[in-house]
Amino acid sequence: MLEAHHLGKSYRLGDREVVALADVSLSFPRGSITTVVGRSGCGKTTLLRLLAGLEQPTSGELRRGDGTPLRTGVVFQEARLMPWLNVTGNVSFGLRRRLPPEVVAERSRAALEAVGLSAFTEAMPNQLSGGMAQRVAIARALVMEPELLLLDEPFAALDAFTRRAMQNELIAIWQRKRPTIVFVTHDVEEAVLLGEHVLELDRGRVVGHEPIALAFPRDPTTAEVNDHRRRILAKLTASPPAAAAPSEATPEAIAT
Amino acid sequence: MPRLSTLAVFLAALVLWHLASNSGLVSTFLLPSPRTVFETLIELAGSGVLAKHTLVSLRRVVSGYLLAIAIAVPCAALFSLTPALRRLIEPLLEFLRQIPPLAMMPLLILWLGIGEAQKIGIIVLSCFFPIFLGVRGGIAAVDRKLIDVGTVCGFSRSEIMLRIVLPSALPAIVVGLRIGLGYSWRALVGAELIASSAGLGYMIVDAENLARTDIVLAGILVIGVLGLISDHLLRGLIQRKAPWLAGDLEMARA
Repeated sequence: MLEAHHLGKSYRLGDREVVALADVSLSFPRGSITTVVGRSGCGKTTLLRLLAGLEQPTSGELRRGDGTPLRTGVVFQEARLMPWLNVTGNVSFGLRRRLPPEVVAERSRAALEAVGLSAFTEAMPNQLSGGMAQRVAIARALVMEPELLLLDEPFAALDAFTRRAMQNELIAIWQRKRPTIVFVTHDVEEAVLLGEHVLELDRGRVVGHEPIALAFPRDPTTAEVNDHRRRILAKLTASPPAAAAPSEATPEAIAT
Repeated sequence: MPRLSTLAVFLAALVLWHLASNSGLVSTFLLPSPRTVFETLIELAGSGVLAKHTLVSLRRVVSGYLLAIAIAVPCAALFSLTPALRRLIEPLLEFLRQIPPLAMMPLLILWLGIGEAQKIGIIVLSCFFPIFLGVRGGIAAVDRKLIDVGTVCGFSRSEIMLRIVLPSALPAIVVGLRIGLGYSWRALVGAELIASSAGLGYMIVDAENLARTDIVLAGILVIGVLGLISDHLLRGLIQRKAPWLAGDLEMARA
């Protein structure tokens, strides 16, 4: 169980204080998959960076189960591979020097198999397509055998076909290993397809929570998925858009 | 192996030199023919004079260059890790950087004499900045996003430095090292021309005093070839140890 209590994060921008996240209280049950959806700048990446420990909250606190740090894997929006390491080197990046070499090799092999890249172990990052690089990044997170897997719009830069395939792969991995997953996206359809729970975030606050009790894998063309999409969109567009970001305020922008 | 076209360009330069010196337009005293120069070269090599001066110069370049690396790399790392120190000292370094190392020669001679220390000192002065700035720039340009990856993996500060920052900075470091190597040769010969009793620069200036243009030219050729060889060795080392950097090397043509 991962819990956030009145979590807040603000930044100083010149002499102005910008609130990225205000008073967010959430819980992520062990083994659940939660998607967080909202328009750009709503604070979803900040929430993820706080959960990942990359930033410290300015108010509130995070409680992680029994208090021991959770093994955490993070997948960012870009693959963020080390250009000087080949695929295997990147996948085992966080493991080396911590475990015996044969364990590292076996875990890397298994993680690469899980993302369907067994044939590319020696490839360098500049030889990979965007989708392949992102798979390597996912394998790099999986190899840590994470109890908590955090993903920040990992498929946003991929074409629709690759994205669909990767969503299915992610669900398959989750069903096999059951890590707690928090998946951030600006794509409402993706949020509905992947989440047991969808959290709607707007201007740093949680404005809605939509449980989705459909079986995986979900078909984006069914009426149930569409109903959920419509309800979430309605909640996200009900509150007037922030004056500072008029270009991102239209329903079309959120729906795409 | 150099390409055929490269060899052809060198050959063409040689032919032009031959034509110019044999045309009668220039005195062969001022511009001896390639043939004369090569004969002199063989004579110098045979008598051991060339080897003696070359070894002296090589030893100076190697020690000066290594010493500069030993000073510049830790300095740059320290500056990168402590911004306060950097803000304090960097304006002074910027001032020093503007001074051509050869302008420091008279002072170095007064302080260090005309022995090895002064030669090595001038090499350190001239290749410190390219190496220092290469390391500094490389570390400053490291992608914060890659550091996030290390943080998420639970790396310590030193692990992040060794496994992310340094490899990321390597292209810029390598450029600095390569430029520095070229500078060290130039500075050395300059220093040997002004005050020395051995070395290729000394061989050249000594030949000038004896009006032996052929030896002057032979010395110049040897310096050029040695520069090419050392650059080639550095490139070879980088290509073998860090093949992904091969493209970045081309930036280092100074």
